[in-house]
Amino acid sequence: MTTPAQPADTAAALRDAIRSSDPQLSKFRPLPRILAHDDFDTGLHGWVELGGNYNGKGEYGSLDRHFRDFRPPQLSSCNFFDVGTHGAMSGTYALKLATRPHPGHTATGIRRLTMSGRGLLQIEAYLAYKAEAVVDPDAEDGFGDMEWDGNRHPSEAQFGAFTVATDLCGDDGVRYHTVVRYQNADEQGNMLRQWRYPVVPEPTPREHYEGKVDYPYATDFTAPNPEDWRTYGQPQELCMNEVPTKVNWHYLRWVIDTERRKNVEVQLNDRLMDWSEVPVPIYDDRYGSLENLLNFYFSVRTLSGQRNFLYLDSVVISADW
Amino acid sequence: MRESQTAVLERGLELTGECATEPFETPWAAEARWFVQFLEPGRGTVSLRTQISADGLTWVDHENAPVNGEAAGILTAPVRDFGHWLRLVVTPAEGTVAPLVRIVLSLKE
Repeated sequence: MTTPAQPADTAAALRDAIRSSDPQLSKFRPLPRILAHDDFDTGLHGWVELGGNYNGKGEYGSLDRHFRDFRPPQLSSCNFFDVGTHGAMSGTYALKLATRPHPGHTATGIRRLTMSGRGLLQIEAYLAYKAEAVVDPDAEDGFGDMEWDGNRHPSEAQFGAFTVATDLCGDDGVRYHTVVRYQNADEQGNMLRQWRYPVVPEPTPREHYEGKVDYPYATDFTAPNPEDWRTYGQPQELCMNEVPTKVNWHYLRWVIDTERRKNVEVQLNDRLMDWSEVPVPIYDDRYGSLENLLNFYFSVRTLSGQRNFLYLDSVVISADW
Repeated sequence: MRESQTAVLERGLELTGECATEPFETPWAAEARWFVQFLEPGRGTVSLRTQISADGLTWVDHENAPVNGEAAGILTAPVRDFGHWLRLVVTPAEGTVAPLVRIVLSLKE
């Protein structure tokens, strides 16, 4: 017998070997410690509508207007009018976030954890995005840049954006968000296909309570002012696949560093993006009640007013601590 | 354990006319119950009708008879044997005032 020269390497190799034989996990590349593996064939796994803060009386009027209606997630079998049950990437069910048919409306699903260390933190997901199908002989055959031609379909331009983001706090109330958005199209249906990030922290219910902010219904809650968003890199075309009832699953992987409060990298399918220079603004004020806060959320926002959907087949959150 | 989910579909609805809740996918559930809670004093009556759908786009009334009641407190309606989508149609009688309504869908496997 010999003692391994690099026990840590051996442990990593064993983890890789075991994971590669597991059909559920082998499609992911988790960091050493898996905090959550959420396959929505087995329930909601704690993904819930992001709810705003309310007063001690539980009064509706104390909720921020733009935080009141983020919609409950649904366990969807990806059911469509033309093919019936499409099913998920694995099994039958996916988590579905669905907006209202209202321009600017956002649906959210948030996962609430806390940090037991600092360092690299990663979220991976298999996702698909769609605008709601239309069955109406009077409907338009085009929207924005997309005119039906047997390949292109107006629904592609009716999908606004999906976002994955965090809400993190620690070290005596230092709070910050890291945010990755895929902006597919604008209000007029012009195709953008851009990766974006905000340069301001998300307005909070405390700031509303203090009279600093007050936003109307369907405001972009992550960063309300469009001028506070920046574009990262070149556009990336994804696989919407022609019509709103074909579901193709995309691989998303995003790494941040909670020790340095920095972004690290984002991967969507074959595009690997260095996000280490993407800024992470922190709040000027310190927050209580949030020590070691570790929240991830996904959101979907319609700009066209057509219902927009984000489907998650499964999600893995992992860390190196 | 049986799967379950409680979905708050409306939490600040002002009932000024007939309205339907957003489509909700329920393929995994065998039974459901609606809760319609009137959070502020109003007056009049409402009718609750469950609608079902195979695709989330086209809707038809469920065989259950509508539930009718005063626009006060909580009205509730059970439903079984539905397709893979549910929504609730709330119809207020003329002159009904219901300033703040919460609608909850409780689902069980």
